[in-house]
Amino acid sequence: MQRVANLSELRAKEAQAAAIEVAELSHVYLGREGKVPALEDISLDVGAGRFVVIVGPSGCGKTSLLMMMAGLRRPSSGTILCAGRSIDVPDPDRVGVVFQEASLFPWLTALENIEFPLSIRRAPRLERRRRADAMLDLVGLPGFGARYPHELSGGMKQRVSIARGLVQDPPVLLMDEPFAALDEQTRMTMGHELLRIWSQTNKTVVFVTHSLTEAVYLADEVLVMSPRPGRIIDRVEVTLPRPRTYEMMATDVFGRLRERIWQKIRKVN
Amino acid sequence: MVLAAWEWLPRWAIVNAELLPPLSDVLAMFFTILGRSQVQEAIGVTTGEVVLAFMFAVPIGAGVGVLVAESEYFGQIFRPMLFYVFSIPKSIFLPMFILVFGIGFEQKVAYAAFSTVFIVIMSAAAAVESVKADHVLVARSYGATRTQVLTRVYVPSMLPFLLEALRISMIFNFTGVMIAEMYASRSGIGQLIASWGENFQMPQLFAGVVLLAAAAIGFNETVRWLEARCSAWRT
Amino acid sequence: MRPAPATVRRLILVLMLVLWELVPRAGLLPELFLPSLLKTLDVLVRNWAEYGHALTVTLYEVVLAMLIACGAGILIGAMVGGLSRVRQLLLPVFSSLYAVPIVILYPIFTAWLGVGSQSKIAFAGIYGFFPVMLSTAAGIQSIDQNFLVAARSMGASLPQQITRVVIPASMPTVLAGLRLGGALALIGVVVSEMLTAAAGIGYLISKYRTVLDSPRVFAAILMILVLSVLFDALARSVERRALAWQTAGRRDRQLPVDKETYASTALPA
Repeated sequence: MQRVANLSELRAKEAQAAAIEVAELSHVYLGREGKVPALEDISLDVGAGRFVVIVGPSGCGKTSLLMMMAGLRRPSSGTILCAGRSIDVPDPDRVGVVFQEASLFPWLTALENIEFPLSIRRAPRLERRRRADAMLDLVGLPGFGARYPHELSGGMKQRVSIARGLVQDPPVLLMDEPFAALDEQTRMTMGHELLRIWSQTNKTVVFVTHSLTEAVYLADEVLVMSPRPGRIIDRVEVTLPRPRTYEMMATDVFGRLRERIWQKIRKVN
Repeated sequence: MVLAAWEWLPRWAIVNAELLPPLSDVLAMFFTILGRSQVQEAIGVTTGEVVLAFMFAVPIGAGVGVLVAESEYFGQIFRPMLFYVFSIPKSIFLPMFILVFGIGFEQKVAYAAFSTVFIVIMSAAAAVESVKADHVLVARSYGATRTQVLTRVYVPSMLPFLLEALRISMIFNFTGVMIAEMYASRSGIGQLIASWGENFQMPQLFAGVVLLAAAAIGFNETVRWLEARCSAWRT
Repeated sequence: MRPAPATVRRLILVLMLVLWELVPRAGLLPELFLPSLLKTLDVLVRNWAEYGHALTVTLYEVVLAMLIACGAGILIGAMVGGLSRVRQLLLPVFSSLYAVPIVILYPIFTAWLGVGSQSKIAFAGIYGFFPVMLSTAAGIQSIDQNFLVAARSMGASLPQQITRVVIPASMPTVLAGLRLGGALALIGVVVSEMLTAAAGIGYLISKYRTVLDSPRVFAAILMILVLSVLFDALARSVERRALAWQTAGRRDRQLPVDKETYASTALPA
């Protein structure tokens, strides 16, 4: 490794490199009737600071792909690099994960939930509290720290979950259909909120969803996956300007982008 | 594996054969005692108590259980009390029954019924509650009369739970009869095994225990099998 | 205007106490069947030396039995719950064994261990063991897998997963099991003392019954009643305190409909 003059140069180098590189990834698992190919020859690069959305039909393997990017699962073949280093165990310093089920621990308060990754690393108490509070503010829930998950609405729970994913300041955030369990209106609000948080923190986001509307609304680039075995069958660059607004959903551009994705998916079915 | 240990440990004198007779001896004794008239009488007595106590406990318990489940008000009054009742050793009331009935058949039946009635209440209430309100609503909206709602919605819905209630109540019932027989009684299998124990007649004691265990498990599994057949519609 | 249910309950309790006092006095029931409450209390207080000693014997047996039941129960329950192979083997066996009244094993214990405290402790220990074991196994087995995935994604090691996730998540079920196991241990001790013993409260019940000394019998019965209610109240308050984070809907006021849970919440004898 070359020696660098100072930390900021190193960061700059990291920022230029692709945040995530997936190379020739394939995955086969043992089902009831023998080997099942789940993912086939996936290669993609996610540039630093980009918001990439993966859409695809149920069972196409998008969640599996995300789990592999998170280091929670190992692919049968291929490599995943995150910030230049391979990732084969979960590393919350580099990759934060937000799940569909908020998976907040019901026996901890919202604040304690957010602190959890830090307390696992035995960070000092004051430091933990400070960072967790900052995250709580970031996701728009100041003062809700002492509430227990059962006292929070679905949208609030997901906000806490996002705060938890970000608390260690990882450069990459992976999100697996985080808004799927919310009602339509909350989904739209949360999507908007997510974009705000993203613009304030400059993370690289890989977001998995079913919803084409959500995909086009949120993304810089949409990756379309085929049904099993999952392959990337299209990459759609979303040219809508930022910051995105609800009104954009009614424009022609939006409609055409969504139509294109939809047609791609239909064809392969 | 456990059975093998039971057979061989005493034979090899690892465990005192006086205290733990080998399995084969116990089984031999098992068939012997079944032949004895004294034992057969005892089986008859015990069975009679079990059946009779059950026949008293179930209607009363079911009635109260339905009341507790159907009436919000009574439910709220009695439910917490029911939970406390369960943590009380009901055997402490045995002397009361003995004082009132003396030592004999009626006392054991009364005590067993008493100790069973509470679980019947709870299970019956649970069975009634298991009927999903939605199903009743759907039936009613199609114009089903009260009787029809009862027979076409409640009964099929409750059947698995009722069988379950039956099974669990019988476990309590059997336990109650056993306790009464072992405590103060002149007849019945419970009394027999208690006296075998006092006289250190270990093979007979173990044979008796095996007999009772077999009967209990037999009944239990039969009802379970029935439940499984009726529950095919449940996930 | 109907009175509140709690008030009705208290009224019923008071009514029962009053009846206990008045019915025998008025001669409605012979004193033999039901000595008046005051007389019972009087006898208890006068012979406190004897009853106190019996109390210590019984408590000693109960505490030891509880320790055995809870300790072994949690240990074996954790193994059964955590290891699916073990669970598949053992659970059906235990389920069937539940149908057998454990009382019938008591003569075996007296034959082996004599009439003193050991047989009671061993018997009551086994009596209380099963609910604790079954609850612990159920509690561990039914942990939401998502919690563990989330913890892993945050970098928790296996020991950390166990202490920070498995234990808190299974707490509610385990505590309920401990409460039942403790109550059953108490019941086991009382039953065994009544059957064959030389000391303890159960022994007093039997001893005075044979001489038809009702007030003394009922004094002992009263002691047991108070003991069991106290234990239950204590256990419930500990549960409540430890589980302050639970949603309101999960409190004991609802009769559990799931068959395994309500089978194990009820105590034979």
